[in-house]
Amino acid sequence: MTILKDLFYILVFPGALFAAVIGLLLAGIDRKVLARMQKRVGPPLRQPFYDFFKLMGKETIIPHAANKAAYLAAPVMSVASLMLMMLFIPIFGFSAFSGRADLIVLLYLITIPGVALIIGGSASGSPYAGIGISREMVTMMAYELPFIIVLLAVARKVGGSELCFSMQGIADWQAANGCALFHWALIPAAIAMLLVIPAEVGTQPFDVAEAETEICEGPLIEYSGAPLGLFKLATAIKMFVMTALFTALFLGGIRTGFVALDAVILVAICAVLTVLCMTLIHAVTARLKIEHLFKFYWTIVTGLALISLILVWLGL
Amino acid sequence: MIIVNYIASVLLIVLGLYTICFKKHLIKIVIGMGIIDYGINLLLVSIGFNDGGTAPIYSMSDLLNGVSATFFVDPVPQALTLTSIVIGACVDAMALALVIMIYRKYKSVNADDVRRLRG
Amino acid sequence: MMQHFPVLAVMVLFLGAFLVEIFGSKSRLTRNIIALAAASLSFVFIAALVKPVMIDGQIISYWMGNWTPVEGYAIGIGYEIDQLNLFFALLVVLTFLLSGIYSIRYMEKDRHLGHYYTLYLMLSGGVLGLVLTGDMFNMFVMVEIMTFAAVALTAFRNNGRGALEAAFKYLVIGSIGSSMTLTGIALLYMQCHTLSMAQISAMLAKGLSPTGIMALALIFIGFGVKSFIVPFHAPAADAYAAAPTSISMIFSGMVNKAGVYGMIRIVYTVFQAMDLEPMSLLLVFLGTITMFIGVTMALAQHDFKRLLAFHSISQIGYVITAVGLGTALGITGGLFHAMNHTLFKGLLFLCAGAVLYRTGTTDLDKLGGLSKKMPKTAICFLVGAFSISGLPPFNGFASKWMVYQATYSKAVETGNFAYALVTVIAVVVSVMTLASFIKVTQAVFFGQLPESCENVTEVPLSMRIPMWIMSALCIFGGVCYGFVNKYLLAPATEAAINVSRYIDVMMGDGYAASYGVVDMTVAPAGFSYWDPLVWLVLFIVVLLAFCIVIVTGRNTRGEVLEAKPELVDPKYDTFFSGEESMHSHVGGSDLFWGFRTDWKGYFDFMQGMHSGIVNDYAIWAVTATGCAALFMFLFIH
Repeated sequence: MTILKDLFYILVFPGALFAAVIGLLLAGIDRKVLARMQKRVGPPLRQPFYDFFKLMGKETIIPHAANKAAYLAAPVMSVASLMLMMLFIPIFGFSAFSGRADLIVLLYLITIPGVALIIGGSASGSPYAGIGISREMVTMMAYELPFIIVLLAVARKVGGSELCFSMQGIADWQAANGCALFHWALIPAAIAMLLVIPAEVGTQPFDVAEAETEICEGPLIEYSGAPLGLFKLATAIKMFVMTALFTALFLGGIRTGFVALDAVILVAICAVLTVLCMTLIHAVTARLKIEHLFKFYWTIVTGLALISLILVWLGL
Repeated sequence: MIIVNYIASVLLIVLGLYTICFKKHLIKIVIGMGIIDYGINLLLVSIGFNDGGTAPIYSMSDLLNGVSATFFVDPVPQALTLTSIVIGACVDAMALALVIMIYRKYKSVNADDVRRLRG
Repeated sequence: MMQHFPVLAVMVLFLGAFLVEIFGSKSRLTRNIIALAAASLSFVFIAALVKPVMIDGQIISYWMGNWTPVEGYAIGIGYEIDQLNLFFALLVVLTFLLSGIYSIRYMEKDRHLGHYYTLYLMLSGGVLGLVLTGDMFNMFVMVEIMTFAAVALTAFRNNGRGALEAAFKYLVIGSIGSSMTLTGIALLYMQCHTLSMAQISAMLAKGLSPTGIMALALIFIGFGVKSFIVPFHAPAADAYAAAPTSISMIFSGMVNKAGVYGMIRIVYTVFQAMDLEPMSLLLVFLGTITMFIGVTMALAQHDFKRLLAFHSISQIGYVITAVGLGTALGITGGLFHAMNHTLFKGLLFLCAGAVLYRTGTTDLDKLGGLSKKMPKTAICFLVGAFSISGLPPFNGFASKWMVYQATYSKAVETGNFAYALVTVIAVVVSVMTLASFIKVTQAVFFGQLPESCENVTEVPLSMRIPMWIMSALCIFGGVCYGFVNKYLLAPATEAAINVSRYIDVMMGDGYAASYGVVDMTVAPAGFSYWDPLVWLVLFIVVLLAFCIVIVTGRNTRGEVLEAKPELVDPKYDTFFSGEESMHSHVGGSDLFWGFRTDWKGYFDFMQGMHSGIVNDYAIWAVTATGCAALFMFLFIH
């Protein structure tokens, strides 16, 4: 019976189906709101679904220079690890699998989609992809540092002198002590996290790795058909996963007791966060160069995260 | 405890290190390595010295008759020194062999020219 | 019978070396047989010790010539095998056996192979002797044998680019290190009048006199030179690149670890200095800067083996940091990472050797697209690259996570914020390691094949077997890390901490107590990240997704995806915006251009510092010795 329940969690809620649907929905919201901000009409909210199913039906072309195994495995690993991440992020008190060391699992799972994109681009053998993966790797280096510091700060704040790495533990602590965001020592960390999210997802101004106008989408240039569809799906799920992670870490104190209602509130908060930290910044800014991106993350964003870590360390 | 020996050995070691660090000619560097070895050997031998002792060659019966412990110098550092001399000789020989081959290949024995691997 | 095995293991290697020299110069078959027989015999002897020492927990003590201690004074040379020794000995024998198998085909085109095998066996014998011995001066002699053989092997291919100068620099800096060790041993003898490590540690249990502090500083720096931590790391980069690759694998796998073992033995057992906070800080500080400088220098390299050498230096930094924390979790993490480093770094060097063997070059700017010609090497390389970057489920992830947890726990325990910064630096270094290996993967294995590499084929079977064995061990170490922890790591950690048992076995029961030796108290290590359910789930999802991809990717005629070379449809060519496609591989120095430009000041400074002049390296070594000695005198009392 537990096998069936686990399979339900993995495949439907909060795993594959739920993550995919909500992710594509958030991607649609992002495109629609962006269009409205730019005084256009924009595609319908369902457009990412149409795109995904269209891509699934197209032919997959593997270029001569590509390494077939890595080329096909990369999008699959990307989507699989993101769906797996969704299982560990609690939806306000309900979490499918929770252990003692969830933050560790999340930390390593979150590098896998980036590495999968890099390996996929590298395996396709195109020079545009080569440039793209180099920029993607530098972007990963840039945002990993503040991300780690934010997680360390939250673990220390929640756990006190024994660090708490369990997501369920963080959710329980916030239910008891109020949202983590309201503890002012963690506000710089929250701002840092909001700035890390667009870089993880790859929207402007941090999308130098997939710059459409410069390097023709970089690592994804030779992809077509189902693998490309899976990569686009991975980007969409990543939007959902990152905003859900932010909610779980910093806004986790809400408990209504009904899982369905919690899920709806989560989706609403994620939509607001998507508009705030992705669409808004996308509409207003231009693309940063890789040197500027790196400097930005390692000075300003890391600075904010470090302030939070120091404040938490001092016991505030 | 011979203070002069200890001071001399420290001086030799420092001189050897100075030669390795600041002299550019490769053979001078090898000589510096040798000087460090001499300093350490001097230190080793001086450690075992007991004032008024003789060479440590005795038979068991002499020892069993209660000869005083300070009557002979400590034999262990002498053994260590012999080993160290041999090792020093081998290292110097290998270093000189390398210097000869470097000269054949690079046409120079100046350390400033022998730097193709850098960065 | 069993207590003779350690000595036999070492002696068989030296005997093999002499036999190869006498009989092996004419016939290739005799040479290979003698060398492999000696290596295998040694491996068997050490493996036979696993059950009694690791599993049953005995400690084997063996006095040469049966000169047991007289009236509480050690007068003979003692070999003591406890779990820590055996842990390192297992790594050593595995590495040199696999290297021997690899060299059969790898070195076949070189001349004077008789000398090669002699030196290889002497090097192995020296390192094994170093790890197994219980006597200070014997350790020094073994260090010298090891250095000597290593220098000779570095210069083995003396027409190679830079081999002679690499060997000369290694000899000079290595000799400075050995001289420091010998001076330290001399001072130690002056203080204790004995050379047996067990007796010295009993005598130094009460505290360290100034002579003792100076001896500790000198011997510590001596072993630091041998394990190539910063600032003694410069000859390592040259030597690993210039030596034949089967020897580079031994360098990065065994010689480094011998230095690390020496440091652990000296600091934990002989001087029992790990309780002292300044010593711990010194080790962590040295480890952290080693990590960081190693990986940043590696990002700027464009020679494959030199890049791997700098990564070796960086990973040893992880080990030293973890060992220097002084907690049980730290020591366990450090030892695990040392073991994993031997495995994955050996694997990476073997892959580099395979590439060099087939293409004749290790320059990253000239290679590309080799995964089409050497697919099995590419897979092994990817396993090694993911292991070193710390991606699950490989072993590098488990050990790196242990190191992070150890440093952060120590930060929380002592309230010292510096340790939290060490954790952050360690994670950043890990990400940069990943970056560096993505660069190498793109530059060598993926991308477009240059014309000079058209005729490259896969390497022969006897070179692939060691690669497969090491890949399998990498995956095993990551997946079954609990098993590894229980049987290898926990006993070794116990042994490192439990000094009085070490002393008692050698010198007789009650000896340690009579000198007032007190064991370090450490909290037991608790560590778990592993959830097999997670991986089962991932596997199911991956399987489903693969099916979807394959099924939907059939083209209109229902054929499964294939890019046969015969298809000349231009849709299978690389996209070039409509231009004709030509060779335009982005690899080597082209990658991370923006990042390197950003840090131009730092890279110019660091590359200027590594000037290649032996005097500069010697100045660093001497200055570091002076600073370490000064630091210890000021803060330890």
